[in-house]
Amino acid sequence: MKPAAISAPLRSRSEVALRSIVVCFLIVFFAVFYLLPVIAVFIGSFFQWNPLKNQMIYLGLDNWVKLLHSELFWRAVGNTFLFAAVATFFRIVLGLALSNALFSKLIKHKSVYRVLYYIPTITPLVAVTFVWKFIFAPRIGLLNQMLGTNINWLFDGKYAMAAILILTIWKDFGYAVIMLLGGLYSRPEECYESAEVDGASAWQRFRYLTLPLLKPTILFVVITSLISYFQTYIPVLVLTQGGPGTQTYLASYLIYEEAFSKYNFGYASALSFVLFLMIAVLTGVSFKISGKGDSL
Amino acid sequence: MKVKNHGLFILTLAIMSGLTACGAAPADTPEQSAQSGQTEPDGETQSQPADVNESAEAALPIMGDVIQYDPNQPVNDGNDIDIEFWYWTGAANLFQSLADQYQAVHPNVHITLVENPYDDYWTKLPLALQGTDGPAIFNVHNSQHDNLIGYLAPYDIPAEDLEAEFVGASGHEIDGKIYYTDYGLMTATMYYNVDMWEAAGLTEADIPKTWDEFREVAKKLTIRDENGHLVQAGFSYNGGIQGDVLGMQYQYGQNLFTEDNKVTLNNDAMKSVIQRLQDMYHIDGVCDYNFGNNSGDNFGQGTVAMYLGWGFMTNVLEQNFPETHFACFEIPTPTADVPYAYHRYNGESTFGVNKNAPADQQTVAQDIIRFFLANDEIQKEFCLANAVFPAKTSLQNDNDLLAIPSISVLADHIDRYIWPGTIPSTVEDNVKIMLEDVFYNGKDITAALSDAEQTINEDLANLDFTSQEPMYKYASEALQ
Repeated sequence: MKPAAISAPLRSRSEVALRSIVVCFLIVFFAVFYLLPVIAVFIGSFFQWNPLKNQMIYLGLDNWVKLLHSELFWRAVGNTFLFAAVATFFRIVLGLALSNALFSKLIKHKSVYRVLYYIPTITPLVAVTFVWKFIFAPRIGLLNQMLGTNINWLFDGKYAMAAILILTIWKDFGYAVIMLLGGLYSRPEECYESAEVDGASAWQRFRYLTLPLLKPTILFVVITSLISYFQTYIPVLVLTQGGPGTQTYLASYLIYEEAFSKYNFGYASALSFVLFLMIAVLTGVSFKISGKGDSL
Repeated sequence: MKVKNHGLFILTLAIMSGLTACGAAPADTPEQSAQSGQTEPDGETQSQPADVNESAEAALPIMGDVIQYDPNQPVNDGNDIDIEFWYWTGAANLFQSLADQYQAVHPNVHITLVENPYDDYWTKLPLALQGTDGPAIFNVHNSQHDNLIGYLAPYDIPAEDLEAEFVGASGHEIDGKIYYTDYGLMTATMYYNVDMWEAAGLTEADIPKTWDEFREVAKKLTIRDENGHLVQAGFSYNGGIQGDVLGMQYQYGQNLFTEDNKVTLNNDAMKSVIQRLQDMYHIDGVCDYNFGNNSGDNFGQGTVAMYLGWGFMTNVLEQNFPETHFACFEIPTPTADVPYAYHRYNGESTFGVNKNAPADQQTVAQDIIRFFLANDEIQKEFCLANAVFPAKTSLQNDNDLLAIPSISVLADHIDRYIWPGTIPSTVEDNVKIMLEDVFYNGKDITAALSDAEQTINEDLANLDFTSQEPMYKYASEALQ
C-alpha cells in the first residue's frame, strides 16, 4: 500500500506547474552534475585525454587493457575492498554499541556524549588527518607514547593501512551512532514491553527485536559507508601517499594520482568508471540482500 | 595632484638610486646615458616637481648588459592598461616588489597579482590560458612544461642574448625561440649542524669529499644512549630522498635517460647509490627508518646532524628553525676525482607570457619579462628569496648571494651540475615507490629498479619528453 501523501490528488494548476518546475530542475541538475560527467568519463576512457592542454587522442581500448593488466590497479582494488569492509564493520559495530549505550536509561548527560561522539564527524578531514599524522609519528607520536612502542605507523607496511583505518573509524563512527540512535528512538516500545513480559533476556531483545527494527537504518549506514569508503583518498594523500611503496594505494587515490599528478585523465577515467560500476553493483547487491530496498 | 607628483618623484629617485647601485647598469652617468642614446635632462630645474619628474624619468639609466631594458620608453604608448600576473602561494612579497618596481617606472600599467595555492595553480592556470581572459603573465615551474608550452608566447628577446647571460638557457630553446628560462639554479647540498659538528670534535678539515669519508664523519656524529637507542642521527634521509637519488647516478657518469629518451634506472650506478644509502643505516647505523619521518624537520629540530637538502631548505631552516646553527658542504662523490657531474640541478623558471592574451597585454608582459631579466637587483632579490644559485652570469660572484652557504659551496663547480630536462612527475613518483619498497618493504634493489624503470617508460611513451642531457657541457664524458 502506497503512502497516502504520494497518491494525494493535485489541487490546482499552479501546484502542478510548481511540481513540474521542481522536477525539471532536479532532472536538469542530475543530468548536468551526475549523468553528463559519467558519460564524459566513459567516453574519455577511450582517449589519451588531458583537458589541461586540450589533448584528446583516440586510443580505443588501450586504457582498459592497461587497467586490466595493471598490478597496481588490482592491488588498489583489493586494498579498497579491505578498507571499505573493515571501516564499515567497525563503524556499524561501534555505532550499535554506543547508540544502545546512549539509549540506556542508565546513562546521564546523553547530549554531552552525543556531541562528543559527533564532533570528529564534523571536523574538517584534512585538518584532523594532519593532526593524526603527528599522533602516528614514530618516536614522538602520541600513539606510540601511549602504547610504549616505537612503531612507524605510516611507513611500516604492516601498520600503514591500519593507521588509515584507525583515523577513518575514529572520524566516522559518530555518524553511525547518531543514525542508529535515531532508529532506536523511533522503535515501538510496546514490542519491548511484550518481550519483557514474555521473559526475553536483554540479549534476546537486542538480537530479535532491536536488530531487525534497526535493519533499514543499518542498511542505509552500510550502503552510504561503502560508497563513501570506496571514494576515500584524502587520508591516503596526507598520511602515506600510497606508501610504503604501494601498500596503501586505494582506488580513488590511484585515480587522483593518474589525473592530477600525471594528467593522464583518460586512464583515470577508465579507473573511475570501474569504481563507479563497483559501487553500483555493491549497492544493488546490498538492496538485494536486504530485500527491503524500497523501505529506504 | 601636486602631492601625488611629489610622491612619484621620490619613488622615481628611489628606483634610480636602486638601479644605479646595480653594478651591471652600463649607463650610470648622464654621459653614459648619452652614449647609449638616452635623452639628457633638458635642463629644467629640480625646483619644479612636476616637470622635474618627467626629466628624472627621462634620465633613468638603461639596465642590463646584453639584454637591456630602457625604462624611458613608454609602454602601451603611455595609456593605462590592466594586466593580471598569476603566481602560486609563498612569494607574495617578492611578486609585489617586482610589480611595485615595474609600476613605479610605468605608472600607466596596473598589475593585479593573483595568488593561487600551488596544487590548484596547475589546474586553474592551463584552463584559464585556454581562453582570452587568462593572465597575461604568470609564474612557471618547469615540471609543468608539457601542460603549459602550448599556451606560451616566445620571448621577444633573441635566444642568443639569453644564452649569453643566463646559464642553461640553451636547454630551453625550442626551434630557435625561448619561452621561459631559469633565473636560478637549485640543487642539493649537504647541510650540517655546526654545534653537533664541533661537539663531535670535528673541524673544517673534516669536511668530507668522498662518500667513504662522509660515512666516517656520519658515524662520529651519531649518538646512542646506554641501551643502544638512537639519540642523534649522524645522517638521515627519512621521508624521501627520491629527488636526490635521481641526481646521484651522474657521479658515476651514468645519465638518467637513454638516447631514445627512456629512463634508465636498473644499472650499476643506481644500484651503488641505493646500496650505499641502505648500508649507512644497516651497517654504519647512522640512523634508522623509525627515527622520524621527515629528515629535514628532524635536522631543524636538532636530532639529525647532516641532511641532504635542496637550496630552498636554507630559507625553511631560517624561518622555521632560526636557532639551528647550520652550514653546508658540497655533496660528496664516489672518489676524490672530479665526477662527470656532482648532481642534477633544476631551474627556478622565469615567467611565461600568455599567447592567447590580447596583443596589448602581451606587449606589456614581454616588457615585464625584459625588465625582470635585465635588472640585476631584481634578479638578485629573487635568487636571495629562493636561495638559488643565480643563472645570470653577472651575479655569480655577488657577495650577498655567495654569503648563503648552500649557494657558495656550488660556486667552484656550477658547470659540473647537469640539467636532465623537465623530468615528468612519473619519474620521481615511481622512484619514490621504488625506494620505499627497498627501504621499508625489504624489496630486492634490482627487482625494485627494474619495476620502476618499466612503469616509468610505459608512462613516458605517452609523453612528449626530450632529455636535455646531451646539451650538458661534459656530455661526452658520460658512460656509453
